[in-house]
Amino acid sequence: MPGKFCVSLTCARDNTDKATVAFVVANAAAASDQETVVFLSTEGVRLAIRGYADDITEEGFAPLKDLMASFASVGGKIYVCSPCFKRRKLDDTALVPGAVIVGGAKLVEFMSSGCPGVSY
Amino acid sequence: MKDEGEDSSQRWELLQPAGRTCSAWDAGDIGCGELVLALRTRLLALPPGGVIRVRATDPAAPEDLPAWCRLTGNSLVSADHPTYLIRRKGE
Repeated sequence: MPGKFCVSLTCARDNTDKATVAFVVANAAAASDQETVVFLSTEGVRLAIRGYADDITEEGFAPLKDLMASFASVGGKIYVCSPCFKRRKLDDTALVPGAVIVGGAKLVEFMSSGCPGVSY
Repeated sequence: MKDEGEDSSQRWELLQPAGRTCSAWDAGDIGCGELVLALRTRLLALPPGGVIRVRATDPAAPEDLPAWCRLTGNSLVSADHPTYLIRRKGE
C-alpha cells in the first residue's frame, strides 16, 4: 500500500558513505511507490547545490549524482533545511532537481499524519 | 525578491471589515520554527477571523507558511511572496 517515507540526512562531503547510502535507501522507497522525502539538514544541505556531489562515488555504489538524479526523476522530493542553508550562505538559485528550501512546518506537515523514516 | 505590491495592500484593506482587528507584521528574514512560533503568538492576539498581513522574506516561507496554515487550520487568504495574508481560525 502506498505510503510516505522520510530519509533524514545530515552529512555531505564530511561522510560520503552516509550521504550515498541515504540516497540508495531513498531510491528504494521511491521505487516502492512510497511518497519519499529526503530531508537535508546541517552539513547535508550542501548536497542540494548543483555540482556539489558530482565527484562523490563510494565503492560498491553508483555515483551520488546519479543516485540523486534517479531519485528526482521518479518524483522524489528533497527538503532543504532553510536555517541550515542560510547560515552556510549557499546559493538558493542553484538547487538540484527535486530540491526545495523548507522550514520546520513543511517537514512537520509531511510527517504528521504518520511517516516511517530512517536517519543518516 | 519581490517587494510588497500595491495589489496586495489594496486587497488587505478590503479584508478589514468594520470592528474586526487586523494586524501587520514584518518578520524580516526569520524562518523555520522561529517564524511560525512568532506568527502563532501574533495571530492568537487577534480575535477569531482577524487577519494578519505578514512580510516574510525567508526563502522557505512560500512552502512553510501554507503548510503551517494547513496544519493549524488557519486560512491562507493570499500568498504573494514575501507577503502573506492569514486569517485566524474560529469564525
